[in-house]
Amino acid sequence: MKELNRREFIKNSTAVTASVATVASGISLTTFAAGPKETDPVTNEKRWGMLIDTNKLTEVDIEDMVSACQEEHGWGEETHSTGDQKPGWIKKVKVKDTATQRISNLALMCQHCEEPPCVDVCPTNASMKREDGIVLVDKHRCIGCRYCMMACPYDARSFVHEDLSNQKEHMPRGKGTVESCTLCVHKVDKGEQPACVEALNSDAVVFGDLLDPTSNIHQTLKRVQSTQIRADLNLNTGVRYSGI
Amino acid sequence: MSRLLVVFLSVMLGSAIAHSDYHIPNLGEKATEFKDEGKEAHKREGMSHAASLILQRKMHPELLLHKRDKTLRQGVRGGYAQLKECVECHTSVDKNGEHVPINAPDQFCATCHEKVGTSLDCFSCHRTTPAEEL
Ligand code: SF4
Ligand code: SF4
Repeated sequence: MKELNRREFIKNSTAVTASVATVASGISLTTFAAGPKETDPVTNEKRWGMLIDTNKLTEVDIEDMVSACQEEHGWGEETHSTGDQKPGWIKKVKVKDTATQRISNLALMCQHCEEPPCVDVCPTNASMKREDGIVLVDKHRCIGCRYCMMACPYDARSFVHEDLSNQKEHMPRGKGTVESCTLCVHKVDKGEQPACVEALNSDAVVFGDLLDPTSNIHQTLKRVQSTQIRADLNLNTGVRYSGI
Repeated sequence: MSRLLVVFLSVMLGSAIAHSDYHIPNLGEKATEFKDEGKEAHKREGMSHAASLILQRKMHPELLLHKRDKTLRQGVRGGYAQLKECVECHTSVDKNGEHVPINAPDQFCATCHEKVGTSLDCFSCHRTTPAEEL
């Protein structure tokens, strides 16, 4: 048997150390694989959605949701825009059943369609859908043509008509581009709930992953009657309503 | 002759100081702060500080372009290049302790952009001063 000299000994022991490291990193890899990291792109394994129960939602609740959205994203203080030009990411809408005269109030924002017409018509690919179903405007590419505003069946989008300053750090907004509800993507990516959902004390609005069988929204949708607004358009919206 | 030069130089210096009265650049202070904390601004792995700075000066649009698509379109958060972090360190504070917008004339972005005549569109949408809570 040959005696190991110092160099060989070091070589061998590095090999041993290396293999331990591989095992160790293998282990840590499997641990990390459980939850996606911040640096991973979002995937279509999730689909974010919202269920709004109009029976539980009071008019005051809707106003709270609107002001929470304004505060979170900094819209609604445009001084030079006239009524029609003012942005409205989320609105209070009154609907009346003509047969029964029943009136319900709903909070209406971008419905985060699975087949979004606003994305289909955009000539620059600025209007886009993330893999997890959140529909956004990439303002770097938006040329302000407003085709998407015409295409959206829910009147969910607004155009910024004036120079803005003092925007929120997480929500760049500027003249000449189109904007709409982002489903508070900056909060959702951190694992938080959208601002309008947080603003409510009740469970009138449930937010979550539509595809996750253990999520509250998935289970509630399984249990209660719900509908999509203009379901006839087959857009498969991410925002659903019950009680209308 | 040399006396004349001294006079000329002191006049120049005087006017430079008079100019900078408008804002107090805090970049030097920031750099010291970074050094004290043991981190060097823009230091990238395997690169000297100087090389990193040159890279940053030449390539900041590319660095940000790549990042913005990843963040917005793919939902990748965090990472090295973030416009808000540029803003956070590179804005100056005026005499009243208020932040001066980074794209204002004479300020960090505008000095070079004016010199080379390239327009600066980031800040028609992005915030020009550090966020309130920071
Ligand atoms: S609701 Fe309108 S803006 Fe939102 S995804 Fe659908 S079509 Fe686009
Ligand atoms: S206004 Fe902007 S987002 Fe809308 S279709 Fe035109 S380029 Fe696309």
